[in-house]
Amino acid sequence: MNIPKRLGWIPGGIALALLIWFTFSTIGADRPIGASTGIAYMGAWFFGLQESEYFQQIKKSGSWEVIFLIGVLIGGFLTSVFITKTFKFRIVPPLWKKHKNNSPASRLIWSFIGGFMVVFGARLAGGCTSGHFLSGASQTAVSGLIFGGVAIVVLIATGRLFYKNL
Amino acid sequence: MDFNIVEFFTQTIDLVQKQHHGSIPLILFIGIVFGVIIQWTRVDTFDKIAGFAMLHGFKVPKMLFFSIGIASIGLYFMIKMGWAHYHIKPIMLGGLIIGGVIFAIGMAILGLCPGTGPVAVSEGNIDVFTGLIGGLLAGALFTYLYPDLKAIMGPDYGKLTLAQLVGHDWFIFVYGVALIVIAFLLPNREVEEEVGEI
Repeated sequence: MNIPKRLGWIPGGIALALLIWFTFSTIGADRPIGASTGIAYMGAWFFGLQESEYFQQIKKSGSWEVIFLIGVLIGGFLTSVFITKTFKFRIVPPLWKKHKNNSPASRLIWSFIGGFMVVFGARLAGGCTSGHFLSGASQTAVSGLIFGGVAIVVLIATGRLFYKNL
Repeated sequence: MDFNIVEFFTQTIDLVQKQHHGSIPLILFIGIVFGVIIQWTRVDTFDKIAGFAMLHGFKVPKMLFFSIGIASIGLYFMIKMGWAHYHIKPIMLGGLIIGGVIFAIGMAILGLCPGTGPVAVSEGNIDVFTGLIGGLLAGALFTYLYPDLKAIMGPDYGKLTLAQLVGHDWFIFVYGVALIVIAFLLPNREVEEEVGEI
């Protein structure tokens, strides 16, 4: 049997929809998919903030998402090694080279800043692409649609302003 | 910093087992399938996500809109039949807007988000790993500042869905089909992969 090395957006989108249904269903997890609470949960734990008001609020979702993210790491790793054959240690993405610079140091610093903003923003908004978009918009949640609208506009504006030679 | 990894996992697993949202193997399974889909479609790459921010490639929004379109129609009836429940996040208007802006600027720069980022880390992207460290710090700082930040996150307009607002079953078909149509109408352009093959 020939396993395709890449999956297109149509089979990918259908698979993701099936996974959303399964996760929401009472035979699955009876909850939405989410990721950013898990990151905040881990971060708070690293700094011994388990007694804080916020940690107490998110510890149920956060702990669930930590287990989920461990699965994500396993699934991503196995696929990159055995199916897409893309596992490789690397620092500067090709498109960054083309539209920003060649410097690994610059890429690492900006990645740190970007990662910080992504999680801080997601926590302010109460969700990320997974929670607000995939799960929220699938329920036609107004919160998810507001977040999605703001995020897409700002994403494209940042793409215009931050990168060059577009 | 006082971090004990054994204590972290025993307590995290204990917290998960106390809630009724699936066993540890089931949650791991959901995560693995998510990781496989995201890696296999390669939407876990800077080039695909930042490539969309630069409007060079549209695979990410096509896949996102398509899956939400399908999922929304099915989910609506699953909930009606009692096979699933609504899990709606409240409309915290300040948090959604300010958070959405900060999140999206970061996403365009990092080229990833909290769900796709771990997949990118798992395939060897060291830059995204530093992004993850930034994210962990942000999570800790947010937790620490939360009592002060609450003030800007409101006002809370409650948990609302468009489907409830409209109140008719046909709406969900319009909504779902519209998203699917948008997915097909978005340009087919994709950022070509330049590296990544071993």
